[in-house]
Amino acid sequence: MEKAFNRQRVLLEHLRPSSSSQRDESVISASACMAGDSASYQRTASFGDDIVIVAAYRTALCKSKRGGFKDTLPDDLLAPVLKALIEKTNVNPSEVGDIVVGTVLAPGSQRASECRMAAFYAGFPETVPIRTVNRQCSSGLQAVADVAAAIKAGFYDIGIGAGLESMTVNPMAWEGSINPKVNSIQQAQDCLLPMGITSENVAHRYGVTRQEQDQAAVESHRRAAAATAAGRFKDEIVPVATKIVDPKTGEEKSVTISVDDGIRPNASVSDLAKLRPVFKKDGTTTAGNSSQVSDGAGAVLLMKRSLAMQKGLPILGVFRSFAAVGVDPAVMGVGPAVAIPAAVKAAGLEIDDIDLFEINEAFASQFVYCRNKLGLDPEKVNVNGGAMAIGHPLGATGARCVATLLHEMKRRGKDSRFGVISMCIGTGMGAAAVFERGDCVDDLRNARQIQSNNFLSKDAR
Amino acid sequence: MPFFKTPFNGYSVKFSPFYENRLAVATSQNFGILGNGRVHVLDLNPSGPITEICSFETADGVYDCTWSEDNDNLLVAAIADGSVKLYDLALPPTANPIRSLHEHTREVHSVDWNPVRRDSFLTSSWDDTVKLWTVDRPASVRTFKEHAYCVYSSIWNPRHADIFCSASGDCTVRVWDVREPVSTMILPAHEFEVLSCDWNKYDDCLIVTASVDKSIKVWDVRNFRVPISVLNGHSYAVRKVKFSPHRQSLIASCSYDMTVCLWDYQVEDALVGRYDQHTEFTVGVDMSVLVEGLLASTGWDEMVYVWQHGTDPRAP
Repeated sequence: MEKAFNRQRVLLEHLRPSSSSQRDESVISASACMAGDSASYQRTASFGDDIVIVAAYRTALCKSKRGGFKDTLPDDLLAPVLKALIEKTNVNPSEVGDIVVGTVLAPGSQRASECRMAAFYAGFPETVPIRTVNRQCSSGLQAVADVAAAIKAGFYDIGIGAGLESMTVNPMAWEGSINPKVNSIQQAQDCLLPMGITSENVAHRYGVTRQEQDQAAVESHRRAAAATAAGRFKDEIVPVATKIVDPKTGEEKSVTISVDDGIRPNASVSDLAKLRPVFKKDGTTTAGNSSQVSDGAGAVLLMKRSLAMQKGLPILGVFRSFAAVGVDPAVMGVGPAVAIPAAVKAAGLEIDDIDLFEINEAFASQFVYCRNKLGLDPEKVNVNGGAMAIGHPLGATGARCVATLLHEMKRRGKDSRFGVISMCIGTGMGAAAVFERGDCVDDLRNARQIQSNNFLSKDAR
Repeated sequence: MPFFKTPFNGYSVKFSPFYENRLAVATSQNFGILGNGRVHVLDLNPSGPITEICSFETADGVYDCTWSEDNDNLLVAAIADGSVKLYDLALPPTANPIRSLHEHTREVHSVDWNPVRRDSFLTSSWDDTVKLWTVDRPASVRTFKEHAYCVYSSIWNPRHADIFCSASGDCTVRVWDVREPVSTMILPAHEFEVLSCDWNKYDDCLIVTASVDKSIKVWDVRNFRVPISVLNGHSYAVRKVKFSPHRQSLIASCSYDMTVCLWDYQVEDALVGRYDQHTEFTVGVDMSVLVEGLLASTGWDEMVYVWQHGTDPRAP
């Protein structure tokens, strides 16, 4: 075996260009790699059947009941983002094979009808079908993954994965009675825990301090404020023309909402420290270090790479892998710590290969735990802030993260090749997806097409 | 053009210098890492599939083989267990190998027959040495030990009977004269391991080298500070490189990127042809001396392809 090992070592040297001076005695082994690819050895081939994202947009996220969308109906949130996808890419809406909308709190059938109506408002013909999907907080990401899978399976060539939530219209609530036998199984019972309690459980079980949590919240606000001030969200936010009713006078006013309104640029640790725990007397989870309750929507246009090239559309990103996992419902917040390694492995990568993370900040406790557990560099995680500052409209968050991640990767260019989106899911789950920056993007593709060229200057005409 | 499926992973392919339709293929089990080896002797038929004339089993992988320039039935194989074996096709299988020379302490990676004097051959090995042998002696004539890492290839000069060059994983190419006690030239050819080298068949001062750095370089030994030409285009390490026996500036190469490429180093768009018939690492390529433009390749996908330059190797 010694001989076989040495032979393997000599041959592997041929495949990893390291200079002879660096030849060390470390154990070299070929790693199993499903994608036949790794970040350190960039693959040159890009395949026509890759599922790519050509556009991703979202609305601004606004505080529920008090924010900019408090008087906006859910379908009026979804329609503008669907419309933006079509308008900005010039794709014929009748070519879209399916629209999948992640949405959580609203009654199922009613929301499905609202989505169908939103598609009509957005200008889609009756021939384009639509459906909803509900995997709690990861519904938006699940919608994108479902569309990617369906395109891969050949059901259709172009699809839209979207997310929608109006927590103003549909607050979190339990309807009807609870099955009495729930007491017989601990995990089933834990599914009924308020999310805040699961956050306290994470903080307690894994020793995340109040100080760390408040720190994370302040950082989230600081980064989101900086991103907004620098105009980094401009590329992804679709302005929504809507109305606001003054609660005192009842006066209606037309407004255009294009900025997230939950961000507090001057949040400080000392201010947050004054807030009282909400869920447990001696707890650590406060309104300040939890995600905000918001309204918003997002949508992502996916298709095969070959089709995008044929249509001359820019390739924003490539959908590489998706994984959903289950964890203990009592500490549902640890989901990303399990889901991210699963998704990264499915893409044939390692955590170190990932350049950018969007991890949903449902609570600072679980966010800090997952970040530390995976040993992630804070400079790579939620670089433009997260749900504690921007907001967490449950069903829309996944689609929102895709827009934020891919636009940030586009800005960073070659420095960021792979990005991960992940979130924890109420009742004990986690989901994660790996995206690759669309490195074949040729910016000139967006240039105006020249119809005819007579090679003469303007003066000559 | 026809193809041939070998049971083991291909390592090297060589056209016979005597018969235009004959070639030898060196193969190894399990990618040459562990297991047996086999040398196949194949015949091309004008119409119809490639037929196997005979094959020789070995206890370890066969990394290279070469035909004698003197005797049309004599074949030498470089074995991974460090031995060098001679086979005579005219003798029955039971009489083969006619000689087994065991001196190298590690895998023998290449063997090359002297085309001028025709009585001797060179072997290069992962034990960092090159050895010179003659057919009539049971032991090597000389050992050349200067390289600091595996020697992957050593090739005779086609004009001068005593001169050869060797390519090594120590990132250098050395030029030797067997009449001299030490190497006559050290060429720091690449920043990374050099896997293959060859002499130009028309200009006895030109060497081509191929490296893990994915590039191929052409050098003039009279002025080796800068290469005459650098050929970029392979996307992984270049495993083997060869000058054409028919055209002065034509080069064939094969690479871990699974392709066989043809280059003309004297023109600006040097890449003349690119063949992607293999589905695994392509490690062996040869050009026929007797038929101009006839190419053969083999790789870890256990396939041997023979085709005319300009045609599709996979075409039936």
